Amino acid sequence: MKKLNETQLQELEQDLNAIRDEVLADLGERDAQYIRRIIRLHRTLEIGGRVLMPFGFIPPLFVAATASLGIAKILENMEIGHNVMHGQYDWMNDPDLHSQTYEWDTVCTGDSWRRTHNYEHHTYTNVIGKDRDYGYAVLRLSDEEQWKPRHSLQFINYILLSVLFQWGVGLHELESEKLHRREIRWRDKLPFLKEFARKGGRQAFKDYIFFPLLTLPVAPIVLAGNVGANLIRNLWSSTVIFCGHFTQDAETFSEEECEGESKGHWYLRQLTGSSNFTGGRWLHILSGHLSYQIEHHVFPDLPAHRYPEISEKVQAVCRKHGIHYNTGSFAKQYGTVLNRIFRYSLPDGIRARLEGGEAPQAI
Amino acid sequence: MLARETQNKAMHWLGRQLSNHENPTTWLDPLIARINPMWVQAYTPARVEQVVQETADTRTFVLRPARRWGGFRAGQHVNICTEIDGIRRNRTFSLSSSPLLWETQGLVTLTIKRLPGGLVTNWLHDHVEPGTVIGLGEAFGEFLIPDPAQPVLFIAGGSGITPILSQLETMAAQDYRAPVTLLYFVRSDRDVIAGEKLRALASRYPALTLEIIHSDDGDVPRILNGEDLDKVPGLRGRQVYLCGPGGLMDLAGDLLHQRGVSEDRIHSTFFAPPAPAQLQDTEVGGQVTFARSDVRVGSEGDANLLEIAEAAGLTPQYGCRMGICHQCSCRKTSGTVINRLTGEVSGPGEENVQLCISVPRGPVSIDV
Repeated sequence: MKKLNETQLQELEQDLNAIRDEVLADLGERDAQYIRRIIRLHRTLEIGGRVLMPFGFIPPLFVAATASLGIAKILENMEIGHNVMHGQYDWMNDPDLHSQTYEWDTVCTGDSWRRTHNYEHHTYTNVIGKDRDYGYAVLRLSDEEQWKPRHSLQFINYILLSVLFQWGVGLHELESEKLHRREIRWRDKLPFLKEFARKGGRQAFKDYIFFPLLTLPVAPIVLAGNVGANLIRNLWSSTVIFCGHFTQDAETFSEEECEGESKGHWYLRQLTGSSNFTGGRWLHILSGHLSYQIEHHVFPDLPAHRYPEISEKVQAVCRKHGIHYNTGSFAKQYGTVLNRIFRYSLPDGIRARLEGGEAPQAI
Repeated sequence: MLARETQNKAMHWLGRQLSNHENPTTWLDPLIARINPMWVQAYTPARVEQVVQETADTRTFVLRPARRWGGFRAGQHVNICTEIDGIRRNRTFSLSSSPLLWETQGLVTLTIKRLPGGLVTNWLHDHVEPGTVIGLGEAFGEFLIPDPAQPVLFIAGGSGITPILSQLETMAAQDYRAPVTLLYFVRSDRDVIAGEKLRALASRYPALTLEIIHSDDGDVPRILNGEDLDKVPGLRGRQVYLCGPGGLMDLAGDLLHQRGVSEDRIHSTFFAPPAPAQLQDTEVGGQVTFARSDVRVGSEGDANLLEIAEAAGLTPQYGCRMGICHQCSCRKTSGTVINRLTGEVSGPGEENVQLCISVPRGPVSIDV
């Protein structure tokens, strides 16, 4: 990681705080209108998709209904749910948009997400061993983790994780790797499993039982469409999220270097551990503005639609402090993610020969 | 919360499964608000029918709440909510009309004075016009007329007259059979709220003795004194209702005690939030009430609410403890807090705060 001394870190902190304060002072009507507009679009697409789905025996309508419901789920998860739960709209004082009570349209419970994502991932970003989002305990993506034979098939695991992403995210807090290593007992996880079953059951009931049964004569079509909509959402959100921290140049950190860190050091870690991708306005909206992952990690509780507006200023701060601002086209960034998953599936020796360098020291 | 629960339990359960909303009836609100704001479910919408200028700084807003609103009893107040620059603001006001007006015409009134520097009262005066829709909660409060009838003394100051207007009108309509006296203190004749209405009430309802006292007319302020009370026949047998500025309420309390009026006969209702005092940064801390845990503790210095809660043996949810993750966000139901990061001072009403960066300034109540 780029090394800055304490004075430089303090300056970095002040520079970024200045950007944050400017946005905070300007929050108001415009932000409220923005999120309500997205919510209206979500409600319209979800209702539209559900109403259209039973007519899915007409192929174009099936495509339209599935896409409509899939996009609705993407908007709700990415631009509404994820961002609301970060507290981006708490200042609006609208009980329906409150970070601590919001519940979203996916298997993972809001409470579990707030613990594993808002707290663990955003506090310990990319700290290997502390940030369980790094590789989701399934993938090896850094030298800090030793290669094991099971990693050679991790590309298959990656595809499975993407397809079943909402279930993977829902089970994330189970900490299966710690159960496996017997660091924790199943008994400790009973309350979590109960919550998981409740929410998973609710989501499966809605999409795979209730709506198909409601339109019984065409139940298979509705079921297929709902499965399709969930699949679209799973693949898209998994892809966007992987582009946030697993690109070529996104850095990782060790526990030691983060012990007792200052806010400035935390900022530095967020800047260097995250990566953006570029694209059109709707690509950003559908990614929940996680295409501005760097801005999001530096300011997780600023309304996400503000990230494009402050991106220039964040880049200027990065230039001033000589910090690499990791961005590129969606295709390029995603390409480096796939490449990384593949490369780290190989034993160190083979990978080194492929890359034409020395094998790194095993840890 | 201002929303009413749905009655049908099965539908409510199904709605929760489908919408992932604790209160599924509000799921469609953002869409519905665009079609007809009177159909919103998160609160009872009320359309402003008319705005009446009472004095230079006081207006009466005549509202037509959606029919599902639960009604009220004379002397009660309501929470209203309105969105100002994207932020939902909740404030409590007394209903100034008689419940009869609601029952017969579906209307209620709020009589509101501009508070110097007050965000909501000034916004209401400057922006609300016929057609505006604001949100209403259900009525609450125990500032109620004695039933069966007993002799009553009202002591009101300034806009503290509002719940009493509702009560007097109700009493007149019921032909309440007991002596009723109103001592109404205002700065000058220009500051009398609903003067005509009061005089009309006094003339058609003979049980009412009305006395409007101008405190600023002479060289020396004419405040409530012992004589005012001694003139009230059968003072000790009266139920006494106080509503006005803190100074008047305290003075009235003292004078009544001296005259042997027992505590259980004196009823007072809050009137306005205390004027925002100019505190130094060091003058923070205060009594903190954690309502859900029924814990009350004092705090000094710049201890934040999370530390205060933990020192009191509570274990609220928290995360980063540096204002990033919002794990510790919860509802403040009343009181003022200072944001430790920005130095910003919150409003006095109900809103979300992050415990780990909020320092109480004066008494604060938190839903923890």
